[in-house]
Amino acid sequence: MTTYLIRRFFQSIVTLFIVSIATFGMMHLMPNGVVRGMLGQRATPQTIAELTHRLGLDQPLYVQYWRWLDRLVVHFDLGTSYQKSQTVNALLKEDMGQSMYIVGLALFFTIVISVPVGVLQATRRNSVTDYTITTFSFIGYAIPVFFLGVVLRDLFQVQFHLIPIAKQIDSFHAAFSQPDQMILPVATLVISGVAGYSRYMRSSMLDEITQDYVRTAIAKGATKRRVLYRHVLRNAMIPMITLVGLSLPTLVGGALLVEQIFNIQGIGVLTINAALSSDFVIVLGTTMLTAIVTILGSLVADISYAALDPRVRLT
Amino acid sequence: MALLEVENLHTQIKLKKSTVQAVDGISFTVEAGETIGIVGESGSGKTMTAMSIMRLLPNGGSSPEGSIFLDGRDLLQLDDEQMAKVRGNDVGMIFQDPMTSLNPTMTIGKQIAESVRIHRGAGKQEGLDRAVEVLSLVGMPSPQQRARDYPHQLSGGMRQRAMIAMALANEPKLLIADEPTTALDVTVQKQILELIDGLRERLGMAVILVTHDLGVIAGRADRVNVMYAGRIVENTTTEMLYANPRHPYTEALFDSLPERGADSGTRLYSIPGMPPDLTKPPAACRFAARCRYAQDDCRAQDPPYRVDEVGHEFACFHPVGAALRSGEEVEVTLSEVTSTEELPTPELGEVLLEVTDLVKDYPITKGFLRRQIGSVSAVAGVSFSIRKGETVGLVGESGCGKTTVAKLIVGLEDTTAGAMSLEGADLAALKSGERRKKSRDVQLMFQDSYAAMDPRMRVRTVVREPLDIQKVGDKESREARIKELFEQVGLPASALERYPHEFSGGQRQRVGFARALAPAPKLIVADEPVSALDVSIQSQVLNLMKDLQAEHGLSYLFISHDLSVVRYVSDRIGVMYLGKLVEIGPAEAVYSKPIHHYTRGLLDTIPVADPEVEKAKASSGIVGELPSAINPPSGCRFRTRCPAAQDICAQTEPPLVPYGTDGHLAACHFPIWE
Repeated sequence: MTTYLIRRFFQSIVTLFIVSIATFGMMHLMPNGVVRGMLGQRATPQTIAELTHRLGLDQPLYVQYWRWLDRLVVHFDLGTSYQKSQTVNALLKEDMGQSMYIVGLALFFTIVISVPVGVLQATRRNSVTDYTITTFSFIGYAIPVFFLGVVLRDLFQVQFHLIPIAKQIDSFHAAFSQPDQMILPVATLVISGVAGYSRYMRSSMLDEITQDYVRTAIAKGATKRRVLYRHVLRNAMIPMITLVGLSLPTLVGGALLVEQIFNIQGIGVLTINAALSSDFVIVLGTTMLTAIVTILGSLVADISYAALDPRVRLT
Repeated sequence: MALLEVENLHTQIKLKKSTVQAVDGISFTVEAGETIGIVGESGSGKTMTAMSIMRLLPNGGSSPEGSIFLDGRDLLQLDDEQMAKVRGNDVGMIFQDPMTSLNPTMTIGKQIAESVRIHRGAGKQEGLDRAVEVLSLVGMPSPQQRARDYPHQLSGGMRQRAMIAMALANEPKLLIADEPTTALDVTVQKQILELIDGLRERLGMAVILVTHDLGVIAGRADRVNVMYAGRIVENTTTEMLYANPRHPYTEALFDSLPERGADSGTRLYSIPGMPPDLTKPPAACRFAARCRYAQDDCRAQDPPYRVDEVGHEFACFHPVGAALRSGEEVEVTLSEVTSTEELPTPELGEVLLEVTDLVKDYPITKGFLRRQIGSVSAVAGVSFSIRKGETVGLVGESGCGKTTVAKLIVGLEDTTAGAMSLEGADLAALKSGERRKKSRDVQLMFQDSYAAMDPRMRVRTVVREPLDIQKVGDKESREARIKELFEQVGLPASALERYPHEFSGGQRQRVGFARALAPAPKLIVADEPVSALDVSIQSQVLNLMKDLQAEHGLSYLFISHDLSVVRYVSDRIGVMYLGKLVEIGPAEAVYSKPIHHYTRGLLDTIPVADPEVEKAKASSGIVGELPSAINPPSGCRFRTRCPAAQDICAQTEPPLVPYGTDGHLAACHFPIWE
């Protein structure tokens, strides 16, 4: 186990290094619009050159990369935004809370709903219940998130005024103190999430129900209920938990579309705005953050897999 | 009153568009404390009968009709809750594959305890205590520790012991064993069968032993029901059935056994055709279409069940064997009707393949840098040769390295050391391109042809692929070659357009054979080619292999765990144990005068389809289980299980030395040799 973790740690470092180089390279391939964007229409070639020099953007790429890396490794500093005159660390800190809160809530409800729905479908395979839920799953799966979000917003906020329209949610406190404002963004994510997860749970259950050991359990005299909860469910949950581990990165990646529609200043919106204004220090920062959580997520998935299934050993 | 009385049982399985009459009106009884055998080929309804008693039918299985009285109570009238109380308490059941039949994420102790907790209302600790108690009853070594193990941590034999412990935890009156040893090695099979037998006596329970293996039934059952196409066609005592089968189907089954052919050197009888489609069973005798004695009345009416004067029941208008009166002794000798057609004996030519000191180690690594800390010694210095037109059989338990030898010869694995030469050319020294060209001379035939074929390829493409890869001839000549191959293996040309799943097991093995033959090889390495087939189909494939050998002068390396099959097909037999070749020699000599104690043990272990032989077996075969190949025993690797082992066996490895003049070699310090 220790050996495994050490190996994974070194692999992760290498992965992060490659991610940073690739992202850094790509960002700098874009036409250099940062300085012009900062100075606006009245910029003269002279002021542009001056600012470019001040930001260090006239240095060779490897020097720029080295400086960025040095700051990150020594000071845990992801640099300073060109546009916002704020450090990337501060920006991430400001926007991460509400993003994680919304996506975390959505993930929680998605699992809490999908597992029983999947179990229900699997135990009543090919019944009316199964077909009805399947139909709704496909519809939920087919509707794009942005469309679903817009429809929900128009319906509940604009048409029927069931939920008041509040001002922008720009901090974790704002998100946490206004639960009514969380309903629609979370519901949007849950609806599309349940559509996929419940299908997954259903097929995972069906895989297990047809296994020989289920027959053994019945032959022991176990009731249907007991077979289902003591034997099948646990084994069917194993792939499900792996899936959850792999979807952890969305926690910090934010849900861009939902943030846009429901006026939430989160990581998603931060990233897309930064990208549009060529503020690539921010983009680099959010990319690195997502990469780290992705690696952690898959590590969590692997470890929980080994913890749940005695046949799996981490080497 | 009998313990179990099954009367006119009908079980149907509903498919999408049709209904299969899996069990069609069978009746039998089981007395307390006796063992009843149910024997039949796949699809005969034997497993469905067992499942019907437990009311454990697969999806689509409707509730069985008729009646099943257990101790006077009709199981088919019970509601689900009452039935759950019968399962695992009054009737225990063990299944074929102990690996998949156990919950992989629960310790075996807990799984056994569950059974006790359900029926006896025992607490957690009480259940676990009972689990340990039953585990020691079934002969599990250090039961306390094993109870905490998960199924994958145990060997196959131990898993089946755990399975038996689970079924017996509540001391049922009836144990149903559905192919309990089919997934196990022969040496372990004997141990498990003896365990079941012993427990039956100790606990005074009755056993229903369901199997396809006539050898397994012979030594264990008191009475036997032979099933065919959902019906019981014959029912009598075991002695009577084996000595004087009355139904032509039973007789045909016996005639298909390779041990019957090996004695006389004749071609094996194989039952032509296929069992009837049970979605619309014929209104006549179900075996008539395949029966060599069938007459017009057989094809017109269903033969009634008859009982002769000695209580031998069968359903046939024209029974075979002798009609005995009570008190008369059985005099008829076995299988009088065996075909007398001699098998062609191919001429043996010069040496085709020479294997010298073949070694294969698999490294075991550990730690961050994956340092090598040891190795699995899969093949440890094996030498033998195969001549042109010769069949060499390799036998041994699983894990003895026989399949690794096959992989090395075919080139699927690289050798660690040793030399292999094919017609004088050193295979190991060849460059990869030349090796690939040479590989057309050596082809592999698999055990499971279905798994070995791309399910989305038509068999035409499957068989043509080796020709395409080896760039044999042009397009037309390849097509012609495929047609010729299909004709040779006895499949119609129309079958070329079909997909692998559209064939039956035996047909698929023919396709697999055709593919192996495609590039006109000189040697075919056949790894358990008939192990997955029914006896009657097995004999077809074996006959075909022999015919084509004579026709093309092919050589075979025939690998199997089944010594009677190997003996039937082989000119010479090699016996492997834990990576070593412990004995090799002419098939008859190895079989009738084994020199090595392992060979002797194997022969005693293999069940023979003859109750007299089974009962006469004195030795208990091979005890224990195969040791690990990571740290194999010093000296003679068999010494840990050998009845004749002495100190020298641990110190010096015995060399393979000749005995007699017929090329019979064995590696033993204390050979069985007068």
